[in-house]
Amino acid sequence: MSEFQVLNTRAARLDAPAKATGQAKYADDLQFPGMLYAAILQSPVPHARIVHIDTSKARKLPGVKSVVTAKEAGLMKYGVSPARYDETLFAHDKVRYVGDEIAAVAGINQAVAQEALDLIKVDYEELPAVYDMFEAMKEGAPQIHDAFPGNLNAEVHQEFGNVEEAFAGCDLIVDHTFLNKRQDAAFIEPHSCVAIFDLNGRLTLHTSTQVPHYVMRTVAMVLQIPVGNVRVVKPYVGGGFGPKCEATPLEMSCSLLAKITGRPVKMTYSREQVFLHSRARHQFFAEMSLGVMNDGTMVALKNKAVLDGGAYTSFGIATVYYSGSLLGGLYKLKAMKYDGYRAYTNKPACGAQRGHGGVAHRAAFEQLIDMTAEKLNLDPIEMRLRNVMVTGEMTVNELDMSSLGMKECIEAVQTGSDWNNKKGKLPKGKGIGMACGFFVSGAGYPIYRSDTYHSTVVIKISEDGGTVHVLTGSAEIGQGSDTTMAMIAAETLGVPLDKVKVTSGDTDLSVDLGAYSSRQTLMTGHATKDAAEDVRKQIVKYLAKEMGCDPDSISFKNGLVLFDGGPADFSKIRTMYLKEHRGWTGLPDADHLTFTEAARLAYLESGTIVGTGKYKPPRLGGSYKGAAVGTSPAYGCSAQIVEVTVDMETGEITVDNMTDAHDCGLAINRTQVEGQMQGSLSMGLGECLFEEVKFDSRGRIVNASLGEYKIPTALDMPNVKTILVESHEPNGPYGAKEVGEGAIMPTIPAILNAVYNATGVRINELPVSSERLYVAINQAKERAE
Amino acid sequence: MKTIIRLTINGESYETAVDPNRTLLQFLREDLGLTGAKHGCGLGDCGACTVLLNGKPVNSCLVLAVQTNEGEVLTIEGLAENGKLHPLQQSFVDKGAIQCGFCTPGMILSAKALLDLNPKPSEQDIRTAISGNLCRCTGYQKIVEAVQDAAETITSTEVS
Amino acid sequence: MLLPTFQYHEPSTLEETLHLLSEHGGNARVLAGGTDLLVRMKLKIDKPSHVISISKVPGMDSIIPRENHSVTVGAGCTAATLAASEKLMDRFLPLASAASRLGAPMIRNRATIGGNIMNARPAADLPPACMVLNATAKLKSSAGEREVPINEFFKGPGESIAESNELLVSLNMETPPPWSGGSYIKLGSRKTLEISMVNVATLLTLAAADGPIVDVRIALGAVAATPVRAYAAEEMLIGQFPSEAIFHEAGQIGVGLCSPITDHRGTMEYRCMMIEVLIKRSLGQAFERAQSWKP
Repeated sequence: MSEFQVLNTRAARLDAPAKATGQAKYADDLQFPGMLYAAILQSPVPHARIVHIDTSKARKLPGVKSVVTAKEAGLMKYGVSPARYDETLFAHDKVRYVGDEIAAVAGINQAVAQEALDLIKVDYEELPAVYDMFEAMKEGAPQIHDAFPGNLNAEVHQEFGNVEEAFAGCDLIVDHTFLNKRQDAAFIEPHSCVAIFDLNGRLTLHTSTQVPHYVMRTVAMVLQIPVGNVRVVKPYVGGGFGPKCEATPLEMSCSLLAKITGRPVKMTYSREQVFLHSRARHQFFAEMSLGVMNDGTMVALKNKAVLDGGAYTSFGIATVYYSGSLLGGLYKLKAMKYDGYRAYTNKPACGAQRGHGGVAHRAAFEQLIDMTAEKLNLDPIEMRLRNVMVTGEMTVNELDMSSLGMKECIEAVQTGSDWNNKKGKLPKGKGIGMACGFFVSGAGYPIYRSDTYHSTVVIKISEDGGTVHVLTGSAEIGQGSDTTMAMIAAETLGVPLDKVKVTSGDTDLSVDLGAYSSRQTLMTGHATKDAAEDVRKQIVKYLAKEMGCDPDSISFKNGLVLFDGGPADFSKIRTMYLKEHRGWTGLPDADHLTFTEAARLAYLESGTIVGTGKYKPPRLGGSYKGAAVGTSPAYGCSAQIVEVTVDMETGEITVDNMTDAHDCGLAINRTQVEGQMQGSLSMGLGECLFEEVKFDSRGRIVNASLGEYKIPTALDMPNVKTILVESHEPNGPYGAKEVGEGAIMPTIPAILNAVYNATGVRINELPVSSERLYVAINQAKERAE
Repeated sequence: MKTIIRLTINGESYETAVDPNRTLLQFLREDLGLTGAKHGCGLGDCGACTVLLNGKPVNSCLVLAVQTNEGEVLTIEGLAENGKLHPLQQSFVDKGAIQCGFCTPGMILSAKALLDLNPKPSEQDIRTAISGNLCRCTGYQKIVEAVQDAAETITSTEVS
Repeated sequence: MLLPTFQYHEPSTLEETLHLLSEHGGNARVLAGGTDLLVRMKLKIDKPSHVISISKVPGMDSIIPRENHSVTVGAGCTAATLAASEKLMDRFLPLASAASRLGAPMIRNRATIGGNIMNARPAADLPPACMVLNATAKLKSSAGEREVPINEFFKGPGESIAESNELLVSLNMETPPPWSGGSYIKLGSRKTLEISMVNVATLLTLAAADGPIVDVRIALGAVAATPVRAYAAEEMLIGQFPSEAIFHEAGQIGVGLCSPITDHRGTMEYRCMMIEVLIKRSLGQAFERAQSWKP
């Protein structure tokens, strides 16, 4: 029996009925009187000097209310990391990729706005462009940003322990290289927003974002409005997965146009614009060497990364650090060296996407482990079990594994997939493979340097004492955070879940850094628990006074008040409550005092009951340069086993079975944890088998649609056997930690290891299209002959 | 030049003038405020705009409003009756088939069209029926489970 | 994703339709399912000033069996209708099968066989199936009508022998003789929602369950500027007893008859190898079905 009343159950999501009936409003569903429609003019060329912009014809078009360029917007630099602010709202001196924003218009309808764009004349002086990350870093390559010679956006060099010495002592060193492809997050809801300026100069921005807080700050900075005058409200969001983690030109253009016109301004990106805005997964080239002893003990890892960043930095600084730091964990290493380089190219900027910075390098590393195990004649599971870290250990780069059920996850999938009866016993064309991974439960530090709380939460009890209202700036983007917070509040206050309602995603309600780095369950969860405890304390204080008892003897459970675990004689309080409600029906007659009665009377005593909670992590990590990236109060981890069938004549892969075990600490909501696992695996499967944003020789995306950029359909994704491994995380609320991103980490290498098992061919470039595998199989055949 | 169309939407009769270049999706969302059908791609690739036209699921972004003259349209708003969720909606809620919810209206309507024709579908039937409705959140598994669950509810209610 | 403005026509008779086509010709496009035309108009590839819907023209969407010797498929039949037709599944399997692989359910509920033929896309699903079934297309204009073998219909990407004033009314297909079996195989990257990298339809007729091949037809899509019939491979097969080896040989001959391109879906080299594999497989499937032919 669970010790919990609400937590660890399969409660239905609070927002599910609204979403099932079409009542849930997303940004593009919003309409306001007098609303204008905006559109953005984007560069058709990859790299050019802007000689002249003529907006006069567009301004004269009937129905056009405003046209803005850099002249109106100013040249305030912004970006994600203050260390690399390299964007302005509109390009003014030059454009750096096909899609770079040049101007925006607001008109009385979409057709007018679109027509106005065609009337803006821009004279370009085209410059040579560079699209490949290696070409970009060569001498003589076209220079994209003057401040970054050699197109080197960022570089990282870290060494933990003495790597050369460690390698010298190894029995075996195995090398591997790996190349993934640029991805798109392919959330089904395109970016959309409506900006409204009121007559007091205050901006309300309704927008599809993962991070209302950061959008508020960036919009305030770029438009030169006090932060307090910007309110960002997130309606329901149709998926984010990373690229909705930063302020967009869409949001800033609409805000500026609303300011100028005094009317609400709406814009929604077309699907092509979603691809052009991008900010999704980078292309990574990984080069690694692993040094081991003959018994399989891992000793040292050398890891090099080259990232194709696109034209701007976006999240790239964090990304290039993550590719190194996230290999420190899971397996015990004596030494690790990392060299990372992020190059600018004339393509849309890349940013964060599920498993930020870690996915490609984890894929390379987990393949490398299988390759090493094979050379040592070890079972891949045995190889991993011999090296895996356990709770309480510190990685070589000083990440604290305060709870780590990695071994338990590996054993769970080993049993769950029937590995021992399948590995090595499958016919040609069928294969089984495994891999592991882990991820942060919230970044240890905010994106901008600050001592800010990462999350604050307000809980207000309705005047009748019957409803617990959680108010938070956190972002429900589909992952279920509202329900999670409601469950934590209900559990802490000892009330049934249906007594709790949540209002979220509004910067006016509280501070919350938002839905990224898998942080909300742990961080917003902590603040929610803290706020609920504050409320609890206030009600308990009142009860203790009235009952003349020790506050510690009072507890709440299932909406009832217990004194020393029993009902006690509370007739005095009940009488007061009944007197207060003369003439009402449905008055309490339970043999226990109810939470509602207690909360109502506490209100009568001291006014509206409001509890506040807050959370920020303690100082985490080492003191070396870049030590902050990768730190987290806790880490979730995952093991997966995948079975595939390969059509040896065509190279087509069918993924038949997937088994996934994830350590998420205490599963606040078991159904939602499974949903995150299954969704992560689906995205990983797509990235492994199909997904690649492709460009032509002029820097234009050739597959900027959901028809040609292929994410898995219901016929491509198998059922997943999901196993929850629940360690107790000491730093998480009720022992909970992440699941949203760690679960994607093993998927790609598990598929690749299974494909190797099926075909004998090691694939080191994504996606594994049927053609790529077919060619590899045939090359292997030719080599053998 | 606007054309007068008469059609039934969610059981209500409508008579209205529309521009020929207006899609059914624009007509529903912008003219009637029925925003349950979502705009995901505009090119018939994602299925977020799925509605039932004369009982069959279609991408409403690729149907002209004028083409629905004399037709019958069911949107997600027309599925629940008197505030009571349709068994499919209830199963989607209960089984955790909804995450971001953006594909949900289309997904439920594709599933409804399936169950109307085939009350006891196999897993493969269900996966095929929703194969034009892209979902990036769930991996489809709980959606399939929800449709199976709803099929059982509907079948057992009809028997009793 | 806005549609440009256009004048909309919704004729209720064939005559009226043909009249509109003769009047507006090159400035008009026929709207059937809209799954291709409306996409092209949204992307500004197609900008007709007149759009003529044929949805109210009676009789365009029926499948009419002509005794036992043939079937006439109205140009307005949707892919979903074709895929669900027992008649087609029984005797015209390549067409029913190809229709079931076109797009996804919502697309199949709208897309018509007429549109799929008239658009003349090299990678379309239905043309190869129609070609192996020796379909003839009935084209009508206000000046008259003509019947054209589908095998002579396609001229290039988006180009066919149909004139801008002609409407495709129906396709007629002869019922394959006893001991016939057919197949359609499509190679894409996902299991559905795909444009073919290569597709192949075959129809194979045996003299008897254990007899030699008396007739065979092979057609391929996405391998050249138009769908292609592999006549040389067919000639080689006729008179032979079916075997994996000769099906493989047919595949090898088939490759030589195609001229695929390299694009973002796949390279020319891979397509060539797949032509060989898929012809072999499709013939194998058709052979199995021919063997188990039932009166």
